[in-house]
Amino acid sequence: MKKYGLMAALLALSVAAAGCGDNNTNDTAGNTNDNTNDNDAALADNEDVNEDDVTSLGDEDADVELSFWLFGATGYPELAEEYIEENPNVSITFQEIEMGDHHNNLFTALSAGSGAPDLAAIEVSELDSYKSAEDRFVNLYDFGAEELEDDYLDWVWENGESVEGDFLFGLPTDIGPTVMFYRTDVFEEAGLPSEPEEVEELISTWDDYREVAQTILDETGKPMADNPETVFNAKRDQAPQAYFNENDELILDDEPYVREAFFETSEMIQDGYVDNFGMWTPEWGGGMADGDFATLLAPAWMQGVIKGNAPDATEWRVAAMPEGGGNWGGSYVAIPEQSELQQEAYDFMTWLLAPEQQLKAFENMGLFPSTPEVYDMPEFQDYSDDYFGGQNTAQVFAQSALEGEHVHKGPQYGDVNSEILAGLDNVFDGFDPEEEWEDVLSRVEQRTSR
Amino acid sequence: MAELQRDTRNSNDKRDSIQMNSNQEPKKPKKRSFSQRQRNMASGYMFISPFYLLFAVFGVFPILFSFYLAFFRWDGLGDMEFVGFNNFNIIFNDPLFWKSLYNTIMIGLMGTAPQLLAAILLAFALNSVLIRFKSVFRLAIFLPYVTSIVAVAIVFSVIFSNQDSGLVNAVLGVFGIDPITWTRSEWGTKVAIATMIFWRWVGYNTIIYLAGMQSIPNDLYEAAKIDGATLRQQIWHITIPMLKPFIIFTVFTATIGALQIFAEPHIFQGRAGRPEGMSVVLYLYRDAFGSNFFGTASATAIVLFFIIIIFSSLNLYFANRIGRSKKVGVK
Repeated sequence: MKKYGLMAALLALSVAAAGCGDNNTNDTAGNTNDNTNDNDAALADNEDVNEDDVTSLGDEDADVELSFWLFGATGYPELAEEYIEENPNVSITFQEIEMGDHHNNLFTALSAGSGAPDLAAIEVSELDSYKSAEDRFVNLYDFGAEELEDDYLDWVWENGESVEGDFLFGLPTDIGPTVMFYRTDVFEEAGLPSEPEEVEELISTWDDYREVAQTILDETGKPMADNPETVFNAKRDQAPQAYFNENDELILDDEPYVREAFFETSEMIQDGYVDNFGMWTPEWGGGMADGDFATLLAPAWMQGVIKGNAPDATEWRVAAMPEGGGNWGGSYVAIPEQSELQQEAYDFMTWLLAPEQQLKAFENMGLFPSTPEVYDMPEFQDYSDDYFGGQNTAQVFAQSALEGEHVHKGPQYGDVNSEILAGLDNVFDGFDPEEEWEDVLSRVEQRTSR
Repeated sequence: MAELQRDTRNSNDKRDSIQMNSNQEPKKPKKRSFSQRQRNMASGYMFISPFYLLFAVFGVFPILFSFYLAFFRWDGLGDMEFVGFNNFNIIFNDPLFWKSLYNTIMIGLMGTAPQLLAAILLAFALNSVLIRFKSVFRLAIFLPYVTSIVAVAIVFSVIFSNQDSGLVNAVLGVFGIDPITWTRSEWGTKVAIATMIFWRWVGYNTIIYLAGMQSIPNDLYEAAKIDGATLRQQIWHITIPMLKPFIIFTVFTATIGALQIFAEPHIFQGRAGRPEGMSVVLYLYRDAFGSNFFGTASATAIVLFFIIIIFSSLNLYFANRIGRSKKVGVK
């Protein structure tokens, strides 16, 4: 009798384990995808908002039934309630899922020619891989989108256009202007000033950055940066060109920018200024909480990640990126050609992404506006973030956003990027940067030639 | 006369006429039972059709389509462009493809060969009379198999963390061994992934061997004991030869499984992957779903298909031979 009881208990346990197992497959797979996906988790990503979520707004019998696919935590459904009140003939169904799944679903629906929504968000790093398929999207210029152009930052707008500039794929949502997050406690321990204005003065160039890194290493033994990836990205995003020119020809070895970024990052790695807390790993998050590295060169949306990983830390502050900001992440909203409600979708989209709503999205979910008008609004001017010691972080981000430039990415951008990062990891493991660069070039050549 | 009679009856009642037909002519009843059989067959096909319809849509069609795709250049959205054997050319000239094949075979060997050996020994232990709470142990050893593969990979990536504080590195530190960068070093990666595979599949194979061992009559062991056979001799000359079909089955499935390693390195090394842990399936997955090169990915899949056939045939051949020679040994 006793034996059977034990067996039954174990059986129940194993069934429970199997049950969990199945559920986990989806959730954790999504999570990991999110975490490793080239890290352009744009729309203010919050790690804990990963669950599939469908929200329906408006009357079930509405004349106009729009569908909208989103990823990450945007808060758009709450925002759209106002639109529904003003337009009772419209109902909107939002589907919010994890970023990798979202783009897979969208790609499949576009490829298959059916099943796509009326509106879809596309992350900026994914956008270029859709640009070869103009026939699958609505050209927003056909709906008169050019009159909105002045509302948005030039470089952000240009990212959403075709190379020729006559086809507009999407309207910009949020952006990811890059800044330097830093720990006051590490700076103070090294005997350095720690107020944002002082730090900006202390570190205005990359040479300053290296000098401070040496001081911090000497005084505290801590690395200046978390991993090669953030340092490399920061430098790369300051350059006017990335991996491809506008004809999608590889310019890795022809233009100096990426090579310089690679070798300068390698040098900092070899000097011991850069650790290797892998992006999105638990160690990385733990490092944020414990102050294991002095700075984190990252976009505005990273503040959500920092707050999530280090909810009790009071030492994080925000300063301008040395030698000027860049952009990392952000999204666009596009209308697939399949949509039968293109005009209605366009009307809603222009409302949703107008400056007033972008301000609300910033206040609700921290999505940084792509409309510069917002930066001058009183809400923005008087913004203060208690987590960052009451600092007006919005102004630091805004300054970085205004410094942005249009950079052509090209459809193979992600492939090239991951090969470069693999090379930097090898440099961290002690391999020679020159040889690694050659290896990167040959691997990239191999990948882009298929 | 009979003809006419039948006709009149026919006009009266159809069912009757059939009845009559069957009574009068020996050939007719055969026809009737044939239609019954046809009906049975039809319902039989309908009962099994859900599987075959789904299999046709989600199995056969994609398989055939990937054969077709292998000769095209296609990014999933644009037009397909016929390129002949160029896709095969590209992958055969890619050092990373050969590296991934090497990785797959190495990880497969490291993960499955010791695992099948361990499974036999574990099954023997579980089958012996020495152990109490057998059901508990059987269940416990099978548990890893029902665990989500993704959860396993995540737990193992914490265990095999690159940091000094990672569990394995901390244990190695006690013995004065320097920490290993598990996710990036050539052998560290392979050891970590092979360990994952070992842990997850050893229970499954143990249960299969256990089932096999329980089908071996006890008389054989008793007779061997009376003849003074040692434990080792019992395993070698009774258990292993009698397990032959089970060994063939597990070697077969393990080989195919090993050549299709995907989730473990995928999660362990992240989405972009690295050459040290790149398996063939990961290689083609990266082409298809990372870069939208569906042509080269399909070509890789086809190459993998033939590699699996070759390896399985070789395995079958050797597994058969080993079993046979043992049998001869017993005699």
